Order: sequence, then C-alpha cells, then structure tokens
Amino acid sequence: MIKARNAGHGARGSSPRRFRSNNAHKAAGYDGSMPLNRLLRRPGRLLALLLAGSALAAWAGATAPGTPRTAAPASPLARPPAAASAAEPGDEHDDSANLSASARRIYDVGRPRLLQVRTLLRDQDSQASVGSGSLVGPDGLILTNYHVVSQMALEPQRYRLNFQTVDGVAGALQLIAFDVVHDLALVRMAQPPAAVASRGTFEFRPQATPLAQGERIFSLGNPLDIGFEVIEGTYNGLVERSFLPQILFSGALNPGMSGGPVLDDRGRIVGVNVATRRDGQNISFLVPAEFAQALIARSAHAKPITGPVEAEMARQLLVHQQQLTTRFIGLPWRETKHAHYSVPVPQEDFMRCWGSSNPSESKGLSFERSDCQMDTAIFINESLRTGDIAVRHEVYDGSRLGALRFAQEAGMSFRNERMGRRTHDLTAPKCQEDFVENAGLTMRSVMCLRAYRHLPGLYDVAVLSQSVDAKTEGVQGRFDARGVSFQNALLLASHYLQGFAWKRSP
Amino acid sequence: METLALIETLDRDGQPRQILRVSQWPVRIGRAIACDLVLDDPHVAAHHATLELRDDGVHVVPAATLNGVRLGRAAIAPGSTPLLPAAALLTLGGTSLRVRLAGEVLAPEQRLLDLHQYERRHVTTLLLLIAFAALWKGFDLWLTAMPGQPGSVLAWSYLAAPAGLVVWCAAWAIGSMLFQRRFAFWAHLHVALRWLMAGVVAEAVTAQLAFAFSMPWLDKLGRIAFVVAIALMIWRHMGLLLPQRRRAFGIAIASALAVGGGLLLADRSMQQQPLVGDLYLGTISLPAMRMARPVPVDAFVKSAAPLEKTLSHWTKAGDDGADADDSDDEDDGG
Repeated sequence: MIKARNAGHGARGSSPRRFRSNNAHKAAGYDGSMPLNRLLRRPGRLLALLLAGSALAAWAGATAPGTPRTAAPASPLARPPAAASAAEPGDEHDDSANLSASARRIYDVGRPRLLQVRTLLRDQDSQASVGSGSLVGPDGLILTNYHVVSQMALEPQRYRLNFQTVDGVAGALQLIAFDVVHDLALVRMAQPPAAVASRGTFEFRPQATPLAQGERIFSLGNPLDIGFEVIEGTYNGLVERSFLPQILFSGALNPGMSGGPVLDDRGRIVGVNVATRRDGQNISFLVPAEFAQALIARSAHAKPITGPVEAEMARQLLVHQQQLTTRFIGLPWRETKHAHYSVPVPQEDFMRCWGSSNPSESKGLSFERSDCQMDTAIFINESLRTGDIAVRHEVYDGSRLGALRFAQEAGMSFRNERMGRRTHDLTAPKCQEDFVENAGLTMRSVMCLRAYRHLPGLYDVAVLSQSVDAKTEGVQGRFDARGVSFQNALLLASHYLQGFAWKRSP
Repeated sequence: METLALIETLDRDGQPRQILRVSQWPVRIGRAIACDLVLDDPHVAAHHATLELRDDGVHVVPAATLNGVRLGRAAIAPGSTPLLPAAALLTLGGTSLRVRLAGEVLAPEQRLLDLHQYERRHVTTLLLLIAFAALWKGFDLWLTAMPGQPGSVLAWSYLAAPAGLVVWCAAWAIGSMLFQRRFAFWAHLHVALRWLMAGVVAEAVTAQLAFAFSMPWLDKLGRIAFVVAIALMIWRHMGLLLPQRRRAFGIAIASALAVGGGLLLADRSMQQQPLVGDLYLGTISLPAMRMARPVPVDAFVKSAAPLEKTLSHWTKAGDDGADADDSDDEDDGG
C-alpha cells in the first residue's frame, strides 16, 4: 500500500496485523492493559483490556500510605500508587463522590462475593497482573475474564493464580474452564475457606427480562490494584456491528477491573467487565452474562485443568472461525462506484470501513483508500490477537504519471506490504503468487499463510492483489483473516479474489 | 671484465639503492672501508660476512657479529657457511642485499601493468560507461520522483550517487598510489562503473523478466547476479593494486562470499525466510510486458494447497523461538 510519502497515511496503510508496542501503553500509564486493536489515529479503534499489569511495579516507589483500602497489601506492588490517581484525571474520583444510595446498596450486596484475581510468579509473591472476579458457584467457583488468567493458563510453569477478597481473605486458585472467544474463565479456590461458603453467590439476571437501554447498572472491581470500587453507569444495549456480542456500558472502567461483575439494581449479574476504549471517555465493554451462564452450565463441575490448554483453545477458535467464515462468505460484496473496477468491499454488518484519499492538488499518483476491519479480535496472549477479518483496497489514478512511472509506483506500493515474520506464536509466512484473472480483470496476486505454532489447525491468511491490466490506473487490495482453518483460508481467499472484476461498460 | 655476480643493496621498498658488480671472489662485506661492499648501517659489524667461491658455488661465510646474517628468512647458524641459492636475499644487520649470480635462470618476462596505457585503452568505454550511468541514474530518478517535487531535492538525490562513486574510486586510487605509484582514478572508475552497471542492469532486467513470465526465481537470480558483480568489481579493484596477487585475491573474495553467503542462508533458513530475495515478487510492470497467462482464481487458490505441508513442518521447527514479535521495522533484505 502507499506509504506516508504520498499522503501521510503511513500509519494506516500498514498491515492490520501489527500491534502497538508496549511502550505505547507505558506512555499512557496502562502497561498491562492491552489494546485489542491495531491501527492508530482511527476513530473507534483503541480497545484496552482491563487487566492491570506489571507497569504498576514502576509506580510502586511513589506510594501514598493511608489511601483507604480493605485488602491488606502483601507485596509492595499492591500498595496504592499515588501516581495512579494523577494519571487518571478525575474519573473514578467523580464517580466515588457521586455514589448514589443504590450504588451503596449494590456494593454492600456485592462486597462479600467480590474478589481480586491475581497472577503471581510461580516462585515468588510478585504479581504479574491483577484482575477481578465474582463468586458464582459453590466451593468457591469464580467467574473472571480469560485474559485475567491467560498467563497462568498458557504458562503454568511460570505463573500461578491467587485470590483476595475485599476483607482480605486470600488463597490459591485453580483454572476450571475458559471460553477464549468470549474472554471468560472459571476458576475455583483450591481450598475454599470456611467463611466463603456462607457468603453465597451472585445470581444472574434472567434472560427473559432483558435490560432496557438507559438502565442503571453497576460495575464492581479493583481498578489499578488500589482498592475495590463500585462504578455506576448506563446499559446501552449491544455494541453495533460487533461480530461477538458485547454490551456497551457508559462508565469509567479501569485496568484491574477485568473480570469483575456488572450488576443490575437488584444485584444480579448482567455482564462482565472486559475492555474499554482508549480514545473515548467512559466507553466500556462488557461480556453479556449469557455467555458466562453457558460456561458455568457447561463446566461448573469440571475438574481443574492441569495440562496444556492449547488444544482446547484451538478447538474453540476453530468453532469461532467456522461461524465467522460462513457468515462472511454468505454476505455479498458491496457495489463499488469505480468506473472500471469492481473491488471486493465487505458489508458493514460486523465490520467498519473507513475511507480516505490523497489531496486532489497532488501532482503524482492519486488514490482512494478503503479500510474495513472488525472491532473485535480475540485475545490469546499479550502479543497475539486473532479471529478477525480485515479488507482494504486502494484505487490508483496515475494519469498524471504516465505508464512507466505508474507501474513503478504501483510496484512500490505492492512491494512494501508486510506479511510478518516468524514469532513466538506464528511461523513465518509462506506465499503463493501468480497472475490471476477474474471476470475480465488480470491481477498479480500473492497469497501468504502463516500457521499458529501452538494452536494446531489455525492459520493467518493474507491475500494481496494488484491489477495489471491498465497502463495508468489500477487497484490494489489486501485481505487478511486471522485464526482460520487451512480450508477456510483458501475459501476466503477465493471468495475475496472473486470479488474483483473489470466493468466492461464504463 | 666479466661480471660474476651482482649485489644489490635494497631500500625499505625493495628497490636497489646501491649496486655492486662483482668481478672477483671473495667479496668482503662490512662497515669498514677496507671491505669490498661498504654498508652504512650501525647494525653491521666492521667485517660482517664474506662471499666465497668454492667448488660447488658461492658460499656465505658470516664473521663473528652481534646481529648475524639471515639467508632468506632463516638466520645462519654460527659456524655454518651455506651455499647461496639463485637470487638470494641476505640480511646483514638492518640491511637487505640481493645477490644475483651469473648464469641464473631468469623468470619469463611479465606483462606490464601500465595504468597509463590501461586508461588510454579504455577511454572510450569509460566515457560510454559514464554516459550510460548518468542516463540510468537520471531515468531512475525520473521514475521514482513525483511530479512537482522541488528541483533542488532531485539535484541532491541525483548527485549523491556519483559523489559516493568518486569517493570509492579515490580510495582505491590511493591504494594504487601505494602499490603502483600512480593515482589511477580513471582506471578504478572504469572498473567500478563497469561492474556496478552490470549488476544494476542484471537486477533490473531479471526483475522485469520475472514479472513478464511470472517466474519469481528470475528475480532471485538477479539478486545473486548483483552480489556477484559487486564481488567481481572488488576483485578487479584489488587486481589493479597488485596484479601479481590476483589469484590470491580471487580465492579470498570467493571464500568470503561463500562464508558470508552460507551464514546468511543459514540465518534466513532458521528464520523461515526465503533464502534469496523477498517473500514474493514485488515488481509491477507495464501491462504489455506480461507474457505469462493468468490463471483462474480457483486454480490459483488450489495451487496454494501444498503450503499446508510446509507450514505444518515449520510449526514444529525449533521451539527455542522466543523471537521478537512482529516489529514495525521489518526489513526483508535481499
């Protein structure tokens, strides 16, 4: 794709596969919180998971003793960092100041069943990350996010799980089950303290009585490891155009609240804290309670997971990719307005497309770009998100360049696409390339696949295609699907390339 | 009088500083003026050695001295009086002598590396090369510059390459100055331009052919050709400095290429990258250049099926791989 040199769109033009480095979070003061998303500068792209991570360690030096909290700090990391409140101007402060009477009541109800879920290093008491959880079943069964326990699930030899209740009861946790697609996990206290049994468990709001938009709901959790909080906010229905259903919650969630329950005004769970948008204010996301209920119904009595989790994870992802592929291929491509080219642009049922073009006074190659992505990607680990699709294209008009220079520019743009390298999670890409013709349009097409090294049967596929039929105009498209089966990778590639066509009558 | 031998006193560069024609044996060598060959060297004794004719030839007879005598590289042991070989090199103290005896077998005449002549002979090709390179660079600049880009920027970009080339050739010419006593700038420019252009053209032509016939391996071949051309260029530069060592230089460069190339290939293979060139052919050319027939989508997608096997093999390869994540500064080197 065209690089910054032409119109300063470099940051967007690059591969949607890349994630921002941790430095970005460090600058924002959210180290452990991960953006689900990939591209900067785009309205609507920056999701952060609400997991408070090791960045807190950096703040631990500047402690402010005496900040009210109920849990006894066991390690220096758990001490309330003064810098935290400065870094997060106002939000939680305002909320706590405006605690309504019902919020107080909800907190009183929820308090005994609310916990902090901590990931500790196997051989010492330093915490790698912290999230929240809620008691949802007998014998200390706890509901939280998958991403809160992912380190322990993937590397049990390096990490272990621990809980701490609001009143300071602590103990070890075992992983019972997870739903990686919806980012949920069940953990259980290894030896439930006697006191826990008497605390009861959270109930779920019956699905027969759905919430109405605008209803008040209450999020519980332990933001930034500084103390348990109740945050009052509004239920705003499901996020639009999201492939995986998520509740849009207007409330100030913060890292560390991941996995905490969100309750209706009668103290019943309606959702689970999961992520927030970094580019907005009070735009937060919850996993709908139905998925948590399904997971509990399925696995509440399962034995603790002791072996590797990758096979089960791959199984869940394969189910997801099948649904995604079937649904994606079922949708027709949108009509494009270009005079000569039909270009595959997806419907916006569960994707968002953003367009741009370079200024018309530009004397060189002029182009228009469309960039479609899914808002949801599935968290696997710190460096791996998967289970989504992205489609981009650029339409070039090189009439001011002439044939030779146009070919040169198109080649530059074709060549600078990133296909990724071998990583801890993925193999290097392996490509197939040829001239491909579809509906009268001849293209140079490249199809690159990468395999997941630890998740058997899953692949990333990228298809890059550049029209080569006209001297001074052309179209270049790129399709990316992450975490699909090999067969579906081929199917999607075929579906994508068949979306290109030459329009005979201009 | 018949010349029986020639004794040359050599300077540091191995050039004769003083020549003695020997018409009778023995020849006494030392610092004393009574000697036949008087050496002005404080490390030489008054009488340092004698060259004597015996039945089997001329022998070196060292006198009792502090620093002794070396024949070739070996010091002559006390009491031994070795026979002088042909064109022997003797070192007395800090002075080198070459002794040539009458009747020695001469090496055949060697062709002269006359840099003057070299440059005169190649003046036409050099001019052609300069013109070609200037045109090539100009075309390249025209191809990549956007209309409306300021001329000064283009001029800088245009001049950078020749400036680099001048510095490169000047450095080699200084080398020639050292070994051949001549600042052979034009000869080196000729070598540099010839091989550089050969490499650049080979790379460009193979890239176009690779596109035309949809044969990405041609592009990879072009990358190799470019590297080989650069290696040949360096070899020729070195040949201009020391023509008699060309063979050794050739072996050295070939070995360097083999070792460096081997390491690079091993590294790329470990990283699961293509051994040569890019992941895919990046050339887009004129529509008229395309000779290969396009395939239908289904056939293309089917042709990717064998990738599954490779990738499955790769997933098992080296679990050490705690490699860096996809980084922004990814660079698929050639």
